[in-house]
Amino acid sequence: MATPIHLEDVRKEFSTLGETHLAVDDLSLDVPAGSFATLVGPSGCGKTTTLRMLAGLEIPTAGRIRFGETDVTDLPPQERNAAMVFQSIALYPHMTVRDNIGYGLKVQGVPESERNERIDDAAGTLQITDQLAKMPGELSGGQQQRVALGSALVQDPDILLLDEPMSDLDAQLKAELRVEIQHLHAELDTTVVYVTHDQTEAMTMSDQVVLLREGRLAQADPPQTLFDRPASEYVARFIGTPSTNVLSCAVERGETEATIATGEFELSVPADALPSSIDESVRLGIRPQYLHPGGGEHRFEVTVEVVEPLGTESVIHGRTGDGTRVDVVTSETAGVAPNETVTVGFDREHAFVFDREGETVLFGAELATGDAREPYDRTESQSRSTL
Amino acid sequence: MGSRGGIRRERAAGSIVSQRTQARLKRIAVYVTALLVSVFVTVPVYVMVAIAIQAPSDVFAGGQVHLLPDGVTLRNFVVLVTETSSVRYFTNSLIVTASSTLLSTALAVAAGYGLTRFDFRGKTLAARAVLFSYMFSPIVLAIPLYVIFFTLGFLNSYFALTLALTAISAPFCIWLMWQYFQTVPIALEESAWVRGASRWRTVRDVVLPVARPGYISAAIFAFAVAWNDFTMARVVMSRDEMYTITVGASLFLDRVSIGWGETMAVSLLIAIPPFCIALFLQQYLLQGFSVGGLE
Repeated sequence: MATPIHLEDVRKEFSTLGETHLAVDDLSLDVPAGSFATLVGPSGCGKTTTLRMLAGLEIPTAGRIRFGETDVTDLPPQERNAAMVFQSIALYPHMTVRDNIGYGLKVQGVPESERNERIDDAAGTLQITDQLAKMPGELSGGQQQRVALGSALVQDPDILLLDEPMSDLDAQLKAELRVEIQHLHAELDTTVVYVTHDQTEAMTMSDQVVLLREGRLAQADPPQTLFDRPASEYVARFIGTPSTNVLSCAVERGETEATIATGEFELSVPADALPSSIDESVRLGIRPQYLHPGGGEHRFEVTVEVVEPLGTESVIHGRTGDGTRVDVVTSETAGVAPNETVTVGFDREHAFVFDREGETVLFGAELATGDAREPYDRTESQSRSTL
Repeated sequence: MGSRGGIRRERAAGSIVSQRTQARLKRIAVYVTALLVSVFVTVPVYVMVAIAIQAPSDVFAGGQVHLLPDGVTLRNFVVLVTETSSVRYFTNSLIVTASSTLLSTALAVAAGYGLTRFDFRGKTLAARAVLFSYMFSPIVLAIPLYVIFFTLGFLNSYFALTLALTAISAPFCIWLMWQYFQTVPIALEESAWVRGASRWRTVRDVVLPVARPGYISAAIFAFAVAWNDFTMARVVMSRDEMYTITVGASLFLDRVSIGWGETMAVSLLIAIPPFCIALFLQQYLLQGFSVGGLE
């Protein structure tokens, strides 16, 4: 039966040679029963440590972990009904695929006939019935991954933990297994926690994406919210490919309006929209998908460095006059060549405003829907945001 | 010449010698080495066998060593069994070799697992000390061990010789298993724990089967050390009925009634167990040692 997971101020320190390294820093998190949560972040952000604490392979330095009503903080891994798929896949090389999948059931003393039935079921779901008699060494990477998944789900776990299970697979297989894992999640009654450094995996599969930064929670939200309303510059840059463009801007405060400006464009916002803590400068984030060559309300010039065609669209990598990197995703690449200058523009509802610490202080979308001071074509903005 | 070589277009692999010539040279070198080794190994073994299976009178007939046997006889072996304590020596050797192999391998598996799976103070130091103690020649250990066993009253016992032989073989075995366990992913064990297996059960079901090539190599090494040992047996055992076959055989040369034929016959017998082991377990031996960086 799926169980909700609660982390309360969980902290994990590692000491090596007298030096203490803080891997997870007071992380609090709730994962509802039966949902699919993804822990994502760059290497060393504490995501795998968090997962290992859920599995019982690491004991938190402080804080509590509960599965439903049960406090599992100090329970050994053997006593939690959790299944885990490891990054290294970890199949037993001396056992057949059947024995690999059934090992957990064997340990739990499930009789052989029932064991075989459940193994056959799991193998059927994962389309590896033909491979059951083989040794793991004879399987391809994708098949090994399926066996590892099979060994996890045959146990009917309350909680399924996946530690970067696809990091060694090629792109095509990843896409295939991504769909498969979502299928499995829909069929199984289990809470899934998935760890990845790949934000595409996080965005496509999860009910909730938990973005970590240096052991701290950066943001935990559904994928679309994370994309549309990033809590900070870090979140905005991590989620979405290519990464969000960030421009340094000066702020001029007036009586009723404040102006956010670079040398090339000005963006006026109501003075009360910017918190008073903002003094002279902010950083403005615009996703590459919302920058348009020759279009948009607010325009600036970009010197093109590289153009990457991706089929229907291309990514233009360039720099502004002051050397800030800017990426533009567009299908209009006619006349765009390295070392040439293009004028790109954005609409105000797609801008994020970050303060000096990188916290988001203003979403452009709020300006567009809220206090519409300037005449503004709303239908166009809505059709674009659904893209 | 140097400048011309530089101007000339470089051949494959950046050498002015063509790759085909290189390959040919390499093959010739391998053949020559193999030939030399086999001459120095095969010829003595052949001489041993040839003398062992002929009656002494035939071997030395006509004043020259007769190395192409006309017939086969077991006479030398019969003399060994009836007139010497060879059977007793052999039994002694088998007993101490088996116990020392078992003890050394068990120690190595336990130590290797501990060194790779647990963190404790002084771990690196302990590992280095183990490797360092392997550098000692057995004779360096022999006298202190004699003193210890003498004090404890353990001289002339299987137990003492087993310990002494283990002291020689264990450091290398431990080092080998330590290296081997580093190649066994901890994720295999963790995955078993998460599925509910206790630490002991995991060791039995997962760790030991996966580490098999490693501990078989360690066991083969411990066997070779114990079976071929001379020094320790000579020092620890002083009564004739406790001698091992290596010590016993060396004494044959001092006896008037035992000649070359019998000595070669006993040598042949000594060579059989290692030969069988090399024959049947060589595949494990190579697997284990290649991990230890001794390919």
